[in-house]
Amino acid sequence: MSSYFGIFKMNFKGELQYRTKAISGVATQVFWGLMYIYLYTAFMGGKIIEGFSLEQMKSYVWLGQGFLVIRFLDLPKNCAKEIESGNVCYKFVRPINLYNQWFAEHIGYKLSAMILRCIPLIIVAFILPPSLRLMLPASFTAFILFIFTILIGAIMSSSISMIIVFLTFKTLSAKGTASICNTVFGILGGMYIPLVFMPQAVQNILNYLPFRFIIDLPARIYIGNISPLDALPFIGISIAWIIVIIGFGKLLLSRAGKSATIQGG
Amino acid sequence: MSKIIEFNEISKDFKILAKKKGKGFLNLFKRDKKTIHALSNISFEIEEGDIVGYIGPNGAGKSTTIKIMSGILVPTSGECSIMGYTPWKDRKKYVKNIGVVFGQRSQLWWDVPIIDSFQLLKDIYKIPNAEYEETLNELINTLNLKDLLNRPLRQLSLGQKMKCELAGSLLHRPKVLFLDEPTIGLDAVTKLAVRDFVKSINKKWGTTVILTTHDMNDIDALTNKIILIGRGQILYNGKFSAIKEKYGHIKEIEVEFAKNYDRIKLDGYTVVSHNKNFATLKNDEDKEFHVKEFFNEITEKYEVVDFQVKSLGVDEILAKLYKDMNL
Repeated sequence: MSSYFGIFKMNFKGELQYRTKAISGVATQVFWGLMYIYLYTAFMGGKIIEGFSLEQMKSYVWLGQGFLVIRFLDLPKNCAKEIESGNVCYKFVRPINLYNQWFAEHIGYKLSAMILRCIPLIIVAFILPPSLRLMLPASFTAFILFIFTILIGAIMSSSISMIIVFLTFKTLSAKGTASICNTVFGILGGMYIPLVFMPQAVQNILNYLPFRFIIDLPARIYIGNISPLDALPFIGISIAWIIVIIGFGKLLLSRAGKSATIQGG
Repeated sequence: MSKIIEFNEISKDFKILAKKKGKGFLNLFKRDKKTIHALSNISFEIEEGDIVGYIGPNGAGKSTTIKIMSGILVPTSGECSIMGYTPWKDRKKYVKNIGVVFGQRSQLWWDVPIIDSFQLLKDIYKIPNAEYEETLNELINTLNLKDLLNRPLRQLSLGQKMKCELAGSLLHRPKVLFLDEPTIGLDAVTKLAVRDFVKSINKKWGTTVILTTHDMNDIDALTNKIILIGRGQILYNGKFSAIKEKYGHIKEIEVEFAKNYDRIKLDGYTVVSHNKNFATLKNDEDKEFHVKEFFNEITEKYEVVDFQVKSLGVDEILAKLYKDMNL
């Protein structure tokens, strides 16, 4: 266990060294957040749509932007490079579980990115003028549950990126797959248009797919759109999805490992 | 001594996609599959405590063999037993006992101080504290790492990096060490240091070392046994000294003449180069070289000012060997 924690720490620390990248990321996301807020404000025209007030919508946008790094399926800095360059072979000569090595890397990366980017952005969102501001959590229980579900979201997102990693064994470059998945999963997860604005029939399906559990569910718990009690069954579903996705990832890895070619001599 | 590595009829094929010629656009839809035989029926044995040089030209299958031995690649067919394990089957248990250095890659973490990487390796290999301290100290002393430990990998030069890589691969005191081109790109001094280090590790800990290299001086300085591979097959397996002996009688003679000759010809010798009053000659393979005989023969025909006799270097011997074997 300590070795996986060590790998986690290594990626965590590695990412913390890139502070300028984080600052520019935060600036971009503030811009996008403001844009979405003005767009949806015009769209909603002061009405409450599907139990979503203006204030809740704004907070939903800020949380979506703030935790973008969690949803975003970009792989840890070294991860894709490692496969493209063949450095990945060192993973195979370590006496520890292959899947868990990757997983620890991903979680370390996601959490460090979260600290570097979410926290500053959330602070910015709190001190904006009241008309644009991020609201306080709906209740203390909602806040605790938000923290819990966003961590589940980080795990979910990591286990999905891992599948992209293992596909890279075949496709050799992660960029294409990742950018397609980012757009598709972003739409399915409500990050471009909040899920509540979608037709009911579509919502009925998307509510149960894994993508909305990454940010949509935690954000809606935070703003009080879903009560903690109503959220519990969804949390159960998200955990079930994680088990399925990790299982699939392990299967892919064992297949990929057998037919792997190491690039570059 | 007991056998530590046994390779039995190992083959490895790679499938690659090949473009069809002259069908540019159609390549998008249909591509040919081509099979490349990287290794075909390789068998050899390596004894415990040996340092074995695994050599061959580029693309011969050296790295593929190393990757199979370290459990990274699964061979298409054949059996392999190292310390009683099948590398790709008992991966986790097996890799505990081996150390691997790929000269062109890095196993240490890029952004963090070297010592942090070592610490993580200690956790990964579950090395007890006392043993770790002892090994680390020994490695620091022999490789002179003291000033490097607190610097991140990205700040180190190639030579410093290689020293750290070597140390990293030995922290858990593996029984077998695989070195894939450990001296690539290093300057002469660092090369010597790496060689000395590998030798001392082999002596002190009895580590079996398998190394691939293109630097024949590595082979000359380190190994007593070589395995020569080409086009996926083993071409020679035995003592390096035997090869040196076979080609050792070939000499290169640089001759300075008193005047310019248009053409130089001497029975039993080939003219390698000829420029004005200088020429380099080489004795033919079936011709035994004797200084006195040569002197008599050449002064009979030409006016000679000076000459110098040189033996083939290890590099040249290998180049000759590759050529003779049509590699």
